[in-house]
Amino acid sequence: MTAEREPFRIPIGPQHPSLKEPGHFEFSVDGEIVTQASLRLGYVHRGIEKGAEQRSWVQALYLLERVCGICSHVHATAYCLGVEKLAGVEAPPRAQAIRSLVAELERIHSHLLWLGVAAHEAGFDMLFMHSWRDRETVMNLLEGITGNRVNYSANLLGGVKCDIDQRLADAIRAGLDYLEERTQHYLDVVLNDALFLRRTRGIGVMSREDAERLGVVGPTARASGVARDVRVDAPYAAYRTLPVQIVTEMAGDLQARFIVRVRELFETYRLIRTLLDTLPEGELTVRIPRRIPPGEAISRVEAPRGELFYYLKSNGSDQPERIKIRTPTLPNFASVLVLTVGRQLADVPMILAGIDPCFSCNDRMVAIHDTGEGRDRRWTWEQLRQHGIEVYR
Amino acid sequence: MLKAAARLLQRWTQATVTPEPERLDVTLDAADLVPAVAALQEARWGYLAAITGVDLGPEAGEIELLYHFCAGAAVVTLRVRTPRNQAFVPSICDSVPSASFYERELMEMLGVTVANTPNTDRLFLPDDWPQEVYPLRKDFRLEDAPLPGSDT
Amino acid sequence: MEFNKTWQDMLEQLKTWARVNSPWAIHFNSGSCNGCDIEILATLTPRYDMERFGLKLQGSPRHADVLICTGPVTRQARDRLIRIYEQMPDPKFVIAVGSCALSGGAFQGCYNILGGIDQVLPVDVYVPGCPPRPEAIIDGVVKLLEQLKAGYQPAARRSGVLRPVPVPVTDAG
Repeated sequence: MTAEREPFRIPIGPQHPSLKEPGHFEFSVDGEIVTQASLRLGYVHRGIEKGAEQRSWVQALYLLERVCGICSHVHATAYCLGVEKLAGVEAPPRAQAIRSLVAELERIHSHLLWLGVAAHEAGFDMLFMHSWRDRETVMNLLEGITGNRVNYSANLLGGVKCDIDQRLADAIRAGLDYLEERTQHYLDVVLNDALFLRRTRGIGVMSREDAERLGVVGPTARASGVARDVRVDAPYAAYRTLPVQIVTEMAGDLQARFIVRVRELFETYRLIRTLLDTLPEGELTVRIPRRIPPGEAISRVEAPRGELFYYLKSNGSDQPERIKIRTPTLPNFASVLVLTVGRQLADVPMILAGIDPCFSCNDRMVAIHDTGEGRDRRWTWEQLRQHGIEVYR
Repeated sequence: MLKAAARLLQRWTQATVTPEPERLDVTLDAADLVPAVAALQEARWGYLAAITGVDLGPEAGEIELLYHFCAGAAVVTLRVRTPRNQAFVPSICDSVPSASFYERELMEMLGVTVANTPNTDRLFLPDDWPQEVYPLRKDFRLEDAPLPGSDT
Repeated sequence: MEFNKTWQDMLEQLKTWARVNSPWAIHFNSGSCNGCDIEILATLTPRYDMERFGLKLQGSPRHADVLICTGPVTRQARDRLIRIYEQMPDPKFVIAVGSCALSGGAFQGCYNILGGIDQVLPVDVYVPGCPPRPEAIIDGVVKLLEQLKAGYQPAARRSGVLRPVPVPVTDAG
């Protein structure tokens, strides 16, 4: 008998069919219980921060928009707001309103996308297909406004490039009516569906203290009762004149994270309608110098996943000196590493899906160590997902 | 909020700047970083939003580290400088466990040694990345890190 | 002899028929921004429903005929990409989806980027766009299937030389 047993490691990933993104997690398990978790990113690390230093301010906008294809607009917004701050100009009110409008439409698309993917992780493929079908409604609207379904390039330095006319406004209102009805159905599923509750209620509980200590952001924090939302705390763009109601839940479990996101959708619908009703008249862009005056700026915006933090430094030339991007997924990952310890391996996929991880944002496989048997198991994400579904069958 | 932070950090402050209404930049000595961060955490002042490392270039010979803390609209930035050829800061993971990711990033991207940080594995860069080549340094050239396709 | 050849031909025809009707695909993101990945997922969902062509997204490379790649190839993902490709049974086809998978796209010149998928693997179908619309992805798949019917040989087999650098194959996913 050895005094200390070798941990049983299960590496998972990096290619997992459901998350669509590579990342490497390594979990140590004792039987079915996770004892330790670690993370290795870098599979989609492209070196964007350095790349931005080698491009002009305008070119960097298009690069930064491609940090993440799901929340491309918020990246561009954070960057534009920061550069405008440095240059000492402000985009016209109509441009600010359209920025917020596209950001809110993007939030709908992102939350519905997440609801589908999370449902898929739990084995509810029906819900996955439904939410993705409904998501096409908002994809159409985004395409109508900007001309592209993903990576909209709605932002320019100093404004936006697309306008909303009456016909588009009517189309958006009609789309919202349909989505609101469907969201009511999803809320009903999330609150009452017995099968769904078994996979979500009381799982991956994060207390308010933990949420604050770990510095989690976005819906993950709000599901633990931490009312943290940049749109309210430090309003930007059109949110300065548009009060946003923060949706929080106290339970801190997976179900709360579902409820928060679904309820946020209703708030988003309300915001979009208000934005359309009060859309200011005027120009869409202001002139912005090619060379940005030297200085530093911090720009924070609320991405669908939480606070997105940009630090920009200019040296007075036409190229950025330094751009630091802190995406919401990074602090939330820290919570996964803590939350999964002591939990069943079968809950790992759902806990991970619960924070709505965005690998490309950060950079990003899964490995599991077993303290019981002293062997390494290698699992694909699919195997882990299936394991989760089997356990709860 | 900012006043409260300024008061908490007073003991270690070397200089302060307010670049924007809701911001406060506090310059500290690297040795005072740990107690300063601990003071903010004990007073439950905000949360660590990010750690940014800025290479000031070979001429300046220094790397500046910015520890951004946010509380509502207020942003406090602790600025610490360290020599470029011997970049070294203490770890703040004891009081802020989530700083681990940022510190791993500093180590691999800028070559800053972070003392006592719990995890020194690479986070973003590939395993075959050459040692002592730090992509976010200003004198980094693409040739420093040959692409794997070219040597195999 | 003649008799045997006919049998051989019939067997080939049968295999092609089966392959064209149910190509199984695996998706790998080697450094994409997610934009293409969500569009690939969208092609599977009810609005576009790629499964009507028999194409099914599959979890394991050992069951897959088609590798759908998105994104530029990052240094870290390169070995994984090759390993997945090596695990696939022959004949195998590669579809590169999106500008980045074609050339490196917006990320060209970044230190962690090797370039497009064809820097590493022989590619059969290129689907341009940033990201390509779901219709474009479906078009790419259908083009491949039509070519298969016409007796197309995979790019890997035609070039002969483009065997990727061998890596030790383990059971890694």
